[in-house]
Amino acid sequence: MPKVKDAGAMRKGIRKLISDISEIPEKELKDDAKFAEDMGVDSMKALEIVAAVEKKFKVAIPEEQIPTIRSPNDVYELIEKLLKK
Amino acid sequence: MNVLKGKTAIITGGSRGIGRACVLAFSKAGANVVFTYNRSKDEADALQKSAKNVVSVKTDVREYEQCRAVVNEALKKFKKLDVVVNNAGVNIDKALVMMTHDDWKTVIDTNLNGTFNMTRAAITTFMKQKGGCVINMSSVSGITGLPRQTNYSASKAGIIGFSKALAKEVAGYNVRVNTVCPGYIKTDMVDSLGEDVKKKILESVPQKRLGEPEEVADLCVFLASGKAGYITGEVIKIDGGLAI
Repeated sequence: MPKVKDAGAMRKGIRKLISDISEIPEKELKDDAKFAEDMGVDSMKALEIVAAVEKKFKVAIPEEQIPTIRSPNDVYELIEKLLKK
Repeated sequence: MNVLKGKTAIITGGSRGIGRACVLAFSKAGANVVFTYNRSKDEADALQKSAKNVVSVKTDVREYEQCRAVVNEALKKFKKLDVVVNNAGVNIDKALVMMTHDDWKTVIDTNLNGTFNMTRAAITTFMKQKGGCVINMSSVSGITGLPRQTNYSASKAGIIGFSKALAKEVAGYNVRVNTVCPGYIKTDMVDSLGEDVKKKILESVPQKRLGEPEEVADLCVFLASGKAGYITGEVIKIDGGLAI
């Protein structure tokens, strides 16, 4: 599993994935915006984001954590935590 | 024909009846099989020994965590999961006027909630890998309703609604969800009925015979295979014409 070397680069990578999947331009993405309420990202799209992030960072997000992911910030924090393990 | 070669399937309630026939048919078709049983340990052990690439896990499908453990076991043992056959089911037949809350709850919890639990445990894997197949065992009783089976009919009708909704939800992820509705099949469930009841049953079936568990299993193998790649959200009766 890759270690977190550069949190900034990690966030940048995740932002790009979220932008690609949600079709929201990166410059318009807000880290604290809620996927469903603010960004119109439904649960299916959110799962696509999870799968893409898992693939990119070679981590497995525990199934029970998935419903707790509500914003880009939640994704950053979770991936950071998993990469530190 | 190895139409399921390289695929891994979970089959619930696999130690007896239709479930057992599914385990044997899936194994014969080349699949790796993890099947669950709850009470029939001896039958499960014998089945595991008799078929290739077959593993049994004691599971109460009413418990979500136990279903998760089965999915994890399949992924650990065979490295992948492609098919879930939700077959585990019970019946406690009584007129509603005699039915207790427990009679109702046990049947709904096992048949309907058990289907939810195992499907919920597997669906994330299917969606992430953009492929998978769910086959839910309902019944003609869930389509037509049968007297003394308000609990069973409700659970099986619920499975049909669940399957159709899920089929629409996950079709874009290349996950197919279909429902099989057997009529009267030669199983312990039908065997336990009185002779006069069995006679009446045969009279009511246009084909004038009971179905074989293997016939239901063959349908499930077909639905799990690539040959059924464009079939989803379907409710297929296999009942000798009973519910025409």
